[in-house]
Amino acid sequence: MSDPVQQVREEFGTWMKENLVGEFACLKWRGTFGDDEAYPELRKKWEQKLGEDGWVGVGWPEQYGGRGYSLPQLVAFNEEYARYGGPGRSGHIGETLFAPTLIAFGSGAQKERFLPGIRNGTEYWCQGYSEPNAGSDLSNIKTKARVDGDEWVLDGQKIWTSLAVDADWAFVIARAEPGSVGRQGLVFLLIPLDQPGIEIRPITQITGGSEFNELFFTEARTHKDNILGDVGDGWKIAMALLGFERGASTLGQQMIFANEVNEIIKLAKENGKARDPIIRQRIAKAYAGLKIMRFSALRMLSTAESGEMSAEAYISKIYWASWHRDLGELAMDVMGSDAEVMANGEFNALQKMFLFSRADTIYAGTNQIQRNIISERALGMPKEPRGTKS
Amino acid sequence: MAYPFTEDHDMIREAVRAFAQDWYDGGKGSEKVFKSGTGFDLNAWQSLSQELGMAGIAVDEEYGGAGLGDLGRVVVMEELGASLCSVPFLMSGGIATDLLQSFGTDAAKAMYLPRVAAGKITPAYVEGVDGITLDKGQLSGKITHIAFGNAASHFILSFEMEGEIALGMVMAANPNITVSTETTMDPTRSLSSVEISNLSLDDVKVIGTTDRAHLQTIVDRSFITLAAECVGGAQACLDMTLEYTGQREQFDRPIASFQAIKHRCADMFIAIEAARSAVLNAAVAEENEKTDAALIAKATATEAFFKVAGDAIQLHGGIGFTWEYPLHFFFKRARANKSIFGTPEDAYDRIASGLFGDAA
Repeated sequence: MSDPVQQVREEFGTWMKENLVGEFACLKWRGTFGDDEAYPELRKKWEQKLGEDGWVGVGWPEQYGGRGYSLPQLVAFNEEYARYGGPGRSGHIGETLFAPTLIAFGSGAQKERFLPGIRNGTEYWCQGYSEPNAGSDLSNIKTKARVDGDEWVLDGQKIWTSLAVDADWAFVIARAEPGSVGRQGLVFLLIPLDQPGIEIRPITQITGGSEFNELFFTEARTHKDNILGDVGDGWKIAMALLGFERGASTLGQQMIFANEVNEIIKLAKENGKARDPIIRQRIAKAYAGLKIMRFSALRMLSTAESGEMSAEAYISKIYWASWHRDLGELAMDVMGSDAEVMANGEFNALQKMFLFSRADTIYAGTNQIQRNIISERALGMPKEPRGTKS
Repeated sequence: MAYPFTEDHDMIREAVRAFAQDWYDGGKGSEKVFKSGTGFDLNAWQSLSQELGMAGIAVDEEYGGAGLGDLGRVVVMEELGASLCSVPFLMSGGIATDLLQSFGTDAAKAMYLPRVAAGKITPAYVEGVDGITLDKGQLSGKITHIAFGNAASHFILSFEMEGEIALGMVMAANPNITVSTETTMDPTRSLSSVEISNLSLDDVKVIGTTDRAHLQTIVDRSFITLAAECVGGAQACLDMTLEYTGQREQFDRPIASFQAIKHRCADMFIAIEAARSAVLNAAVAEENEKTDAALIAKATATEAFFKVAGDAIQLHGGIGFTWEYPLHFFFKRARANKSIFGTPEDAYDRIASGLFGDAA
């Protein structure tokens, strides 16, 4: 077995088959988008199981406890994980967003302090970026940070924080230079959540569940060493982190999408919608979209290491988000009038997907912001007139 | 090098781009073809096929081609599409090559492929499975809308013979064949009717036999080339639009600075990049996924080209509607590509049949 990619498939595929069983069997296909609230404790235990056998942080360099996987190996890893119905990863914010940022910008002591908790599944992270008045205009941060003795003290509010209820730490951008505006004067701080100065309020969302939360800081405190970079580096670090969001995990996500398409096909066969010529056209188009996303990801990954955004990388977010939203609508049209009924008193997976997919075109840059980015950065069109700040 | 290309592909791209842009000359090439009324440019085809040696890009090396397969051909067609170059590559370097390579006997391959690759013959395909009948050793039938039929030196006819589908090569100049150029909405790619009356089988060299399903598969796969033309044409439309909207000023600003314009351009870009992925995916797909991938490419790229060409006219405003400005040639080609060898709806329907394991 000399091919390192095939080796990942064999080794990790076997591990998944042997380990996603017994008490973990109920986690199959659970805990993904729109289903984040499923089995939070058991999923943390699963995370620890992955960590024990060295399957967390496989893309990190070996010196930090990773396996130093190449991109093709990461692709294989993520595809195998999804192929066996691996549940939504409780630790993914720490593993795929925070850890690469920490490795790039953190001090030796910070890496030593925080990487093991992520790798072992004992510490969980959430992201404090958006605020009520800093959404698409993310640099309009109002949360304030000041130094008081040995500590940073935070006052303000974050919103749309995923998984905050199950997290131990948050990474937060805040304004440290009074009177600064826009991208200047920001800090990137690490805040422990279990303290009196922090209140977490779940937001009840369109599905009736609550994956997103509000975070309120009232003199919340963290040690003054818990800053990445210096005062003023916050924006640069926050943006670098967003860059890590586009990565190999997109292929794992596509395996989940493929599974949803298969469910819809199965249902259409069962309930006779498979004979409706318009539904057939729409299902074929959805299937075509899957193939297009997979190939776009391969193109994107082949140039990812050059550091430059390639053309197809710009379309990735808006393409999958719009595709998934359309898939939700298709799923409901295939269900027909059954779509209106919550059998057993709760939404089935397709209903949940339909509702939750309305978030896809909003979070991590709305479709409208994506079009701005495409037109200005990929196509070089003139910038919108902006306010005086930044 | 960005996946899936190699340096060979880059060299071919450069060569064909330079040739095609020179030919196009800001739209003068298309206008010349329109005025000629023929729907193709013989001189351009001779240069491309004989001097640049591009006709055999997908012909196996043992028969004198470049052996670069679908991906090499995608590069060529993309560049030809970007300049709407009126040459019959789609037929000769595309489907005729595929029919010969897939179904040809060794003798037929040895006889025809080197001549195709060298641009010495230019065969067009005439789908006659349901339109040409064989009776007492003679073929008869009339097939319409044959792309580049009037540019062809030879025809490859498909017809039923002894319970099989035969593929026969015949000289276009045969006295029992009448080729009539049709008057078309897209004046830069000819369509012709081919009328065959009492053509003796003795005049037809049967190059191979197959069945309906296998023939359909090869035809479907061949139109990855058409999809690549669409990607090239669509990209040209977007490039023109970016240039125009960047210069055109209204309300004291370039109109490219307005979000309504920018977002439409972003959508054009998304459609093009998705189509590009579909085309490249089909070009490099494994055997068991190739036909599906080709259908996806054809449906996606023909729809993208039509959308983008229409958007380009809209964003150019009045000038986009004029004959003087070459956008109308792209719009007309995009329209034509949606219905040549099946529509996007046909393709999606076939994909659905595969997914549901039935035939609607």
